[in-house]
Amino acid sequence: MERIDIYPTHEHEGIRFRRGKPLPFGATIVPGGVNFSVFSKHATSCELVFYKKNGKKPYAVIPFPDEFRIGNVFNMIVFDIDYEDLEYGYRMDGPYNSELGHLFNKEKILLDPYAKAVSGRGVWGKVPDWNNSFQYRSRIIFDDFDWEDDKPLEKDMKDLVIYEAHVRSLTRHSSSDVKYPGTFAAIIEKIPYLKELGINSIELLPIFEFDEFENSRIDEETQERLFNYWGYSAVNFFAPKVGYAATGKYGMEVDELKNLIKILHKNDIEVILDVVFNHTAEGNEKGPYISYKGIDNKTYYLLTPEGYYYNFSGCGNTLNCNNPVVRNKILDCLRYWAADYHIDGFRFDLASILSRDQNGVPMANPPLLEALAHDPILGKCKLIAEAWDAGGLYQVGSFPAWGRWAEWNGKFRDDVRQFIQGNRDVVGGIVQRLQGSPDLYSDRGPTSSINFVTCHDGFTLNDLTSYNEKHNSKNLENNQDGENDNFSWNCGYEGPTDDPAIIKLRRKQMKNAVTILMLSRGVPMLLAGDEFCNTQFGNNNAYCQDNEISWLNWDLVKENKDIFRYFQKMIAFRKQHPILRVEYFDSGHNETGLPEISFHGTKAWEFDFEDPSLTFAIMFVAPANKYGTREDEFIYSAMNMHWEMHGFELPELPEDKNWYIVVNTDMESPEDIWEKGEEKRLENQNELLVGSRSTVILIAR
Amino acid sequence: MEIKIEQKEGIKIIKLSGDLDGTNAEEVQEKIIVHVDSDSRLVFNMGKCKYLSSAGLRVLLIVAKKLKALGGKGVMVNLLEEVKDVMEMTGFSHILPSCETIPEAIVYVKKEG
Repeated sequence: MERIDIYPTHEHEGIRFRRGKPLPFGATIVPGGVNFSVFSKHATSCELVFYKKNGKKPYAVIPFPDEFRIGNVFNMIVFDIDYEDLEYGYRMDGPYNSELGHLFNKEKILLDPYAKAVSGRGVWGKVPDWNNSFQYRSRIIFDDFDWEDDKPLEKDMKDLVIYEAHVRSLTRHSSSDVKYPGTFAAIIEKIPYLKELGINSIELLPIFEFDEFENSRIDEETQERLFNYWGYSAVNFFAPKVGYAATGKYGMEVDELKNLIKILHKNDIEVILDVVFNHTAEGNEKGPYISYKGIDNKTYYLLTPEGYYYNFSGCGNTLNCNNPVVRNKILDCLRYWAADYHIDGFRFDLASILSRDQNGVPMANPPLLEALAHDPILGKCKLIAEAWDAGGLYQVGSFPAWGRWAEWNGKFRDDVRQFIQGNRDVVGGIVQRLQGSPDLYSDRGPTSSINFVTCHDGFTLNDLTSYNEKHNSKNLENNQDGENDNFSWNCGYEGPTDDPAIIKLRRKQMKNAVTILMLSRGVPMLLAGDEFCNTQFGNNNAYCQDNEISWLNWDLVKENKDIFRYFQKMIAFRKQHPILRVEYFDSGHNETGLPEISFHGTKAWEFDFEDPSLTFAIMFVAPANKYGTREDEFIYSAMNMHWEMHGFELPELPEDKNWYIVVNTDMESPEDIWEKGEEKRLENQNELLVGSRSTVILIAR
Repeated sequence: MEIKIEQKEGIKIIKLSGDLDGTNAEEVQEKIIVHVDSDSRLVFNMGKCKYLSSAGLRVLLIVAKKLKALGGKGVMVNLLEEVKDVMEMTGFSHILPSCETIPEAIVYVKKEG
């Protein structure tokens, strides 16, 4: 039977409408029309503004009758809308008093905070018309994508091998060999490659709508434009970046992204999104009105008692995450991505901000983080925190977790970098990192630790071994931007070189790094391109570089196929050995009669945990019963980060077993790593010689 | 958008010319859907369809789903490259398949199963 509320009751300028529903927020297709609902606590009135697609002037402005407001929510149903041709926004009137935090301006046309699609930046890099008074326009989408039998993969955290990538960087380079470079669709063409490498989770740098033209500028020397390339600055949290979609010019980015996720899932690859809830693209007092500032500045932002923006993000403003309205918005947003896009997990940029209260003070039990940890819809999603912020809060090891949150382990990165560089003082740290960082996560387990040596922030692995100093002058900030404490070492020459000894050492160092990463308990994360020596030419902060600095050069895969092969085999090695992928810090004696994890010096069973050292070995002993393997497994890895060769006395094996060599980073490819079944028996079963700055892995058979 | 229907070897060939978008989606759907009944075999000649919007795509999908529900079969033919790419990239191509030529399309819809 037909409902009686599908008929309009009001008319304004030829547009017919009626009272709507306050929930859900945003624009929702209902019988006969579209329900619009928007929150503002402090607005005195609100108007709905309609444009035709790309229209310069609104074709209708409909004031919300006061009886359509319920509490602080304006709502109405508008009839006869051509969904595809509509771009809409709101205008809000209210007080302007910056000391009280109110910045209402009834002339500004505002983006719906719950818009599911945003137009205005449809084609990446196309210079916008700055005279247009409505830059970022809310759109209505069809949410009827045919997922067939797809759902999030729900892989165990312990089994993940994460690959961090920027959508555009992945396939924009001319060497990418894809039909629509730099897009969501193009990633599909790289899936066979990703499977060959062996990763099972891709973590995408921000894909929420952002404006690549925010703070963009022209390099006078090259006439090249610098962009807001990484996009850590959301214009809207519900809409995908249109400029990343090959079909964005047709407004079909939503379906294109969903299709990518569906196909990644079909190929057994999870999708993790890097989400940035700590601030928005509206900047500080001088920034533009996009949405929140004009809708309810005081609710959405953390403000000082004088009404200025707190800047814990380093980006001008700080979202008021623990205000209940904003908190619910973030929750709605993540639920939407999990339910409607089948996203497998989220990595929260500067997540420590989410633990600050409405005055900016860190809380012991931040309600937002607790709500996310216990949310039913997010119940199987991975939650990963970047456990620090730009306001000085550093929570690695102490991020409020409720047994759900993992963290980017910054200590892993710093310790591994320093150790392979030859800093003997960090050996105690390395001992912890290999075990999954029990010093940091004793009550949470190793899967709380996302281990990485490199990520988008900082040097690529190739550059970590090729540069002592950052080279960021092309960012036009006088090389002042970017991290200074990189723990990088150029191996004897700054930048590219023909010196074969230096090249060899660099490759060895890269292999040492990925070996420790893949051997460590916890969850490894790789930076896209490290597996083929991708370079950013020494730039350790390429946030603005939409060019060869950031774009992965796929020609390097052929040039560095030895490194690719090494990464691939090392990932495979990790997958073959369940003792490396665990949820508990089991290291004591197990049913083999030996400790599950033991440390050794150059003498077997002798390791002084107090003594700084560059030579040590770790042995994993895995009982067959516990780990479901055919027989008990032994993995012994000797690390010699000293610049001289050292002999290691090997622990004795049960009588029927012998040591076989799997990895020796001192050897050239293909003798640096042996495939399963191809391992070479050691001639001397009692002592192992390990070359300078080298890592060896043995297994017992 | 112009819709022309011809019969070939007992198969209805529906030729869509022009743009298919939100402005005509409903009308086009109504005109096509009357040809869908149990065991219908339809070929959509898309050679003159330069642009399919999100709503336009959905018209074809609704027709395809209805065909399937009634035990019929449909196929598109002569898709322009860009239209074909859009369908593939947005994940719609699995719902309504496509062929290169009309004879191929006729063979395809005549096949059982």
